[in-house]
Amino acid sequence: MLKIENLSATVGEGEGATAILHGLSLSVPTGEVHAIMGPNGAGKSTLSYVLTGREGYTVTGGTATLNGEDLLSLDPEARAAKGMFLSFQYPVEIPGVPVMTFVRTAMNAQRKARGEPEISAPEFIKKSREIAKVLSLDPEMLKRPVNVGFSGGEKKRLEIYQMMMLEPRFMVLDETDSGLDIDALRTVAEGVNALRSPERGMLVITHYQRLLDYIKPDKVHVLAKGRIIKTGGPELAHRLEAEGYDGVLAEAV
Amino acid sequence: MSTALKDLIRNPTVAELELVARYAALKADARRERLFEAFAQTGLPGRRAENWRWSDFKTAVGQLDTPKAPPARDPLARDGVSTLRFTPAGFVAPASLPAGLRLLAKEDVQAMGGAEEAPLGALAAALSGTVLVDVSAGAAVHLHMVFQGPGAINAARVVFLLRPGAQLHVSESHLGGAAFSTALVEFTLNKGAHLHRTLYQAGGADEAQAVTALIEQDEGAESVQTVLALGARIARIESRLVHRETGSKATLNAAYLAGAGRHADITTHVRHGAPACTTRQATKGAVLAGGRGVFQGKFLVPRTSGQQTDASMQHNALLLEEGAEVFAKPELEILADDVQCAHGNTSGALDGAQLFYLRQRGIPLAQARAMLTEAFIAEALEGAGELEEVLRHEAQAWLSHVS
Repeated sequence: MLKIENLSATVGEGEGATAILHGLSLSVPTGEVHAIMGPNGAGKSTLSYVLTGREGYTVTGGTATLNGEDLLSLDPEARAAKGMFLSFQYPVEIPGVPVMTFVRTAMNAQRKARGEPEISAPEFIKKSREIAKVLSLDPEMLKRPVNVGFSGGEKKRLEIYQMMMLEPRFMVLDETDSGLDIDALRTVAEGVNALRSPERGMLVITHYQRLLDYIKPDKVHVLAKGRIIKTGGPELAHRLEAEGYDGVLAEAV
Repeated sequence: MSTALKDLIRNPTVAELELVARYAALKADARRERLFEAFAQTGLPGRRAENWRWSDFKTAVGQLDTPKAPPARDPLARDGVSTLRFTPAGFVAPASLPAGLRLLAKEDVQAMGGAEEAPLGALAAALSGTVLVDVSAGAAVHLHMVFQGPGAINAARVVFLLRPGAQLHVSESHLGGAAFSTALVEFTLNKGAHLHRTLYQAGGADEAQAVTALIEQDEGAESVQTVLALGARIARIESRLVHRETGSKATLNAAYLAGAGRHADITTHVRHGAPACTTRQATKGAVLAGGRGVFQGKFLVPRTSGQQTDASMQHNALLLEEGAEVFAKPELEILADDVQCAHGNTSGALDGAQLFYLRQRGIPLAQARAMLTEAFIAEALEGAGELEEVLRHEAQAWLSHVS
């Protein structure tokens, strides 16, 4: 279970620091998929970065634990080894590092941190091939440098590929639907749904209800001004789509 | 020592006095005298000379004692390739030579063009004999050269003549082991000749190393040079290339990795002395706290001879830590009007977004830094062909050792 209690955080340094999260509380039990929706500037991406330990964000109060273990005191790589995975809104280009090399290095680093043996080359290639097939990824693409020259849709599919390879215990999907056409969206959702399991939790951050037609959430939270202001079932997403954020926000105040 | 000799260099340092004494002990020879005088004009070059102000040999070369460090390993050594050894005790020829190659080691000195512009090259020539290597046309010839101590001073000179259509793959390991090493390597490429030169340099924190290359290319000749320099207390890899007939092509790539107490200098000078010649240059560097990288690149494109020149120069450096230093001077002197010349020069830290991306996937910070740095410099090593993997491996070893 991912448990966030009363989390406050700022972005930026010193005098330029801006408070973004203001006492955010949220629990995602293991095995459930929750969605977070909210207007621009609500703090959605900040939440994903604070949970994964990006530099430039400072936690000023509250806690976040995964299966009872504190996350906020750990380095990003240690959080990853504990099973935290972020599907980036804007995946980063890594020139000179082929996808397969990158993912295998990451997988073995995580395994090492957990005291597990490394994956063998044949085992890795077999797994990679199977997942590439599910995501309709050209195997040649996996030999190219990470995200370099990839289209927006390819980058998002590559995020899901990494997620399926690394098999995290908790996944945060930050606006995975942005920049995807309907076919790509369906493929990506298939990959994500394949990872749904009683052992795994998921937080789907999105602007639009559209993605949630494909990845059906157990709960929907509305994030505004750095806090969860409303929680409901999947029907809440439909209401937001129909009425806009203004109506729901006004009601919550 | 005669008064005249002592007065050759003004206000000499301890090291310069010792160099004068070395010279005085050698057999008198008019060419040797001329070359030593060319060196003596500047002495060990330092801050006062424009081209040496960031690489001050005068200050860095101290007492010329044999360094204590154990001999360095030669990563480019491989079985089945004839090896020329240049040591403080003299030149050691290989037991056998490949077909198409003739070698002549002479005790006397051969004249050197442009000696005043390359004082440490002139010094190497003045303090050593000459090894002449003649490469005739035919299948590609492979040769390896090692420049290594132990000793106080290691001065060496080797002169290659590539006959029309000849193909030479030469690898060089400059491994230090002497307080001061200076090597002069000359290549003349006749019409259509191909030179493939791969150079590895590594030296100790109490060693000074200079490698000066003079390369002249005739019509349609092509050279590809790849350098991996790990620096020393002070180390300079200087390449001076002249395109002297049309259609000549040169690639001059280098990567430098300078850790604490290491100084790596990549200096190049290319003269487009004939129309329609091509130069491609990519230099990449990564420097840690207490390390210093220097890049000086110059393209000279004269008004009449330099027409239809196609040349590009890139230098990109990573400052991996606070306290790392990089000095760069890309210089294009273009007097011809019908040319394509591009250059770029950057230096900065590793990209924070890239580092976070790697760490989010579980790659520890030190390993993430090493991966990104290796990827950054990799482009500069791509031209090394069959030796690219060896150079990359050395770069990886350096990165894993320091991070």
